[in-house]
Order: sequence, then structure tokens, then C-alpha cells
Amino acid sequence: MLNRVVVTGYGAITPLGLNVKDTWHNLVNGTSGIDCISLFDTSDLSVKIAAEVKNFNPLDYLDPTTARYTDRFAQFAVAASLQAIEGARLKIDDTNRYDIGVIIGSGVGGLSSLEKQLDVLRTRGASKVSPYIIPMMILDNAPGQISIKTGVKGPNLSVVSSCSTGTDALGIAYKMIKCGQFNLMIAGGTDAAVTPLGVAGFTQAGALSRNPVPQKASRPFDAKRDGFVIGEGAAVLVLESLDYAVSRGADILAEIVGYGATSDAYHITQPSENSEAAIKAIELALANVKHDEVDYINAHGTATPLNDLSETRAIKQVFGRKAYEIPTSSIKSMVGHMLGAAGALEAIICCQVINEGIIPPTVNLENPDPGCDLDYVPNVARTGNIRLTISNSFGFGGHNSVLAISRYSGH
Amino acid sequence: MGVFEQIKQAILKTQPSIDENKIVPRALLKEDLAIDSLAQVELALALEDAFGLSLSDAELDDTATVSDVVSLVETCLKNQNA
Repeated sequence: MLNRVVVTGYGAITPLGLNVKDTWHNLVNGTSGIDCISLFDTSDLSVKIAAEVKNFNPLDYLDPTTARYTDRFAQFAVAASLQAIEGARLKIDDTNRYDIGVIIGSGVGGLSSLEKQLDVLRTRGASKVSPYIIPMMILDNAPGQISIKTGVKGPNLSVVSSCSTGTDALGIAYKMIKCGQFNLMIAGGTDAAVTPLGVAGFTQAGALSRNPVPQKASRPFDAKRDGFVIGEGAAVLVLESLDYAVSRGADILAEIVGYGATSDAYHITQPSENSEAAIKAIELALANVKHDEVDYINAHGTATPLNDLSETRAIKQVFGRKAYEIPTSSIKSMVGHMLGAAGALEAIICCQVINEGIIPPTVNLENPDPGCDLDYVPNVARTGNIRLTISNSFGFGGHNSVLAISRYSGH
Repeated sequence: MGVFEQIKQAILKTQPSIDENKIVPRALLKEDLAIDSLAQVELALALEDAFGLSLSDAELDDTATVSDVVSLVETCLKNQNA
């Protein structure tokens, strides 16, 4: 028998706050987390803005030695996971530690550590390279640190699917619980690629906005959009089988009711021209629910010219005329593109929309684009009785990943 | 600053969670100060920078206590100046 899968806790470190509560408050108020880059000198870069996490202190979550040898991306993941575990009121002990797994994805892993040690290699030689560089840069250091910190001993791994990473981590965790392999999974995504190489690389790929005004740069679905703004952070959810959640008296925040994942088989950075695989991913996520019950879409909405057009086309193809009636917003207009963390934060936001009855807006939507003509909840949050949501994520390499998240309707 | 004090600072720099009061000459690197194989290499790099020395992994493998590290560094300094 297949398990129902519910969300019982979540945590986040974002450009708009060091927890979900502050992030949510800022999102519904339309606040931008984007500003000039402060983490390093940008004089050599043409793009000088990002959505950085501000005032994060790893010592709030890790001892000084562990913090010193843990890259920022994994520090974020530990912090978000500990918040999620606390939110879920999950006690980890000898009765359950092998029943709990961790799947935390990352788009690029410890890029900052890699850059620093490459400098050491080239300026001082191989014998001066830190022995910690490999554990600090590998993506699975994030779930590994969470296991070490919390004592959970179930499966422990990363998934990588560029900007779909967070959604796929949750989707795979959902499937593992649904099939009865594990009772509970700690899952989500993290990234900290606001580094000289990260910003230079995305700039050279033509992916980033060149808009010099930070708060105006991320403009999903606007006619004057010109690329995404790189962000950073982590978002982690506690997913568990309904039976396990009920047995331990957990508060149920939402239910995952579907997951779809496909690939374009088309191009290493661009979405396909006909959105066919993206459409299929949404259809797969909705396989167990009625299309006409979807009443909110959390868009991938990166603000690249191609993504927003392609995503809009896919939504219209799936929902037909109803597409125009479904509020569809992009929080990337405020938190930028948190890469591997994006899909996980957007899943949390779907849970918040369901429980709070408020839809965060797409800010900077000022100039209509004839190709992007849906209801993107422009500029101002809106109230609504939302029961069923989908969260879209698409990534470099042609990944299309979609979660369907529903209000919990009882045992 | 004496050799012991410089070594103590290098240990604190590379392993900032260690209780400073535990860094005494008789302290065992592995058992008392939790210096594992990775931390040992990181400590060797810090000592090389602090004293302007070149230390091999094998040399540090032969040290068990902080006092042993002091002796190793003093011997290397002597050989370097000879």
C-alpha cells in the first residue's frame, strides 16, 4: 500500500531572513532581498548585484572547528535543517534514527572553498592545499553534516539537477516515503554561489540581469526582464508518512500529492522551444488530482527572457483557459535565484500560501509582455482560499520538475 | 613568544573548538585534543607558516603529544640554522 506523504516542519536561510517567518513576512510585503554584492570585490565584474544572505552566523548552529571546515553552502543547509527538525518537533533517538534519511541537493556545492584553494595551489603550491578542500567542496557534505549533527542514520545523499535541485530532492524523498522505504526524510536544497567565479560564469552564460538597480533587476514576466539575479541560501522540509506523523502527534502543515520530472533532451542551458517536456512534468505532478482544482502556481519565473515565455506556454497548454484564472507568482522577483535552494524554498512558500491564505506577489511587473499574459499577482500580495498548489522548477540541462502540494484534508 | 606558545596558537587557530586549557605539553594530540588525520595536516601547514619550516606528514605521524611537537619543531629549527 502506498503511503500519503505530509509536511510537518520547515526551515530556511534566505536573502530575506534567517528563518521562514521573517522570509515570509518580507515576501508578502513585496520586499526585495537584492542589493550590491558585499561578499567580495566586484570591480572586475560587469554584474555587481546579488541576493545575499545577510548577518548569518554559522556559530549559531555549528561549533567553531566544524564551522571553519564547512563551506557556506553546507552551513546554510545545517541551519535550515535544524530549524525544520525543531519545527516538526522531531525527536531523534535509537528508536527511529535508521528510519530517517537526508536528501539535500546543491547546484554547485562549495564553490567558494574551491576558489580559495585554487588560489593556494597556484600561488603557494600543491603541498599547501588544505586537507579539508575535498570534504568542503563536495555537494554531499551538506547532508553529511546534517547526519553528523543530528544523529540520523538512514540514507544520506545529494541530488543535482541545477535549478531544479531543491524540487527534485523533495520529489525523491516523497517517492521514498510513498513507497514505504522510509518513515521520514529531511529534504531540500542549498547553494552559496555568490562568488567571483559563480557570478562571472553565470554572467558569461548570459543568464544574469545587467540592470544596475538592485531592487529593480529581477523582473519575472515583465517585458523589460533581462535575466535572473543570483541568490543564495537553503531551504529544508521534514516530510513523513501520514501514519508516522499521526503516530507521533506531529502537526501537519500540508500534503505532497504529486511529483513530476522530465528532461528536454535539447540544450545545456536553454529550455526547449515547444515546452513539451515541461508540460509533461506538470501533467505527471497532477496525475492524482484534478487539474481544475489547482488554485495557485509558484512559478519558476527566473526573469530570463526564454524561461518566462516557455513556462507561461507550458502552463497555458496544461490548464487551457483556466490558466488565466490561476494566480501564478515568482518569489525570485524578491529573493533572486537561490539555485539549488530555490525549489525547496518555493515548496515551503506553497505550504505557507495554503496555511496563511496570502499569495506573495511578483514584484517589478510593470511592463506587460504579450507572450506572458497570465495572472502573475503583480506587485502586491493577495488573499485567497488556496487548497492545491503546484511549484515549478526548471534547470540548465533541460530539467523539468514539479511538485503538487495540497492542504491536508484529514486522515 | 616561545615555541610552545606558538604551537598552542597554531592548534587554536586550526581547531578553534578546543579548550585552550587542555593544550598542555603532556596532552595527547588525538585523544585529548581530537586532532584527527585531516586536522594533523592542517596543523602541519599552520606550523610551517608560523615557523618558516617544511614538515613532512611522516614527521608529524611520529608525534603523540604536544611536547613531541615542540621537540620536533625545535629539532627542525636547529637543523635549519645549522
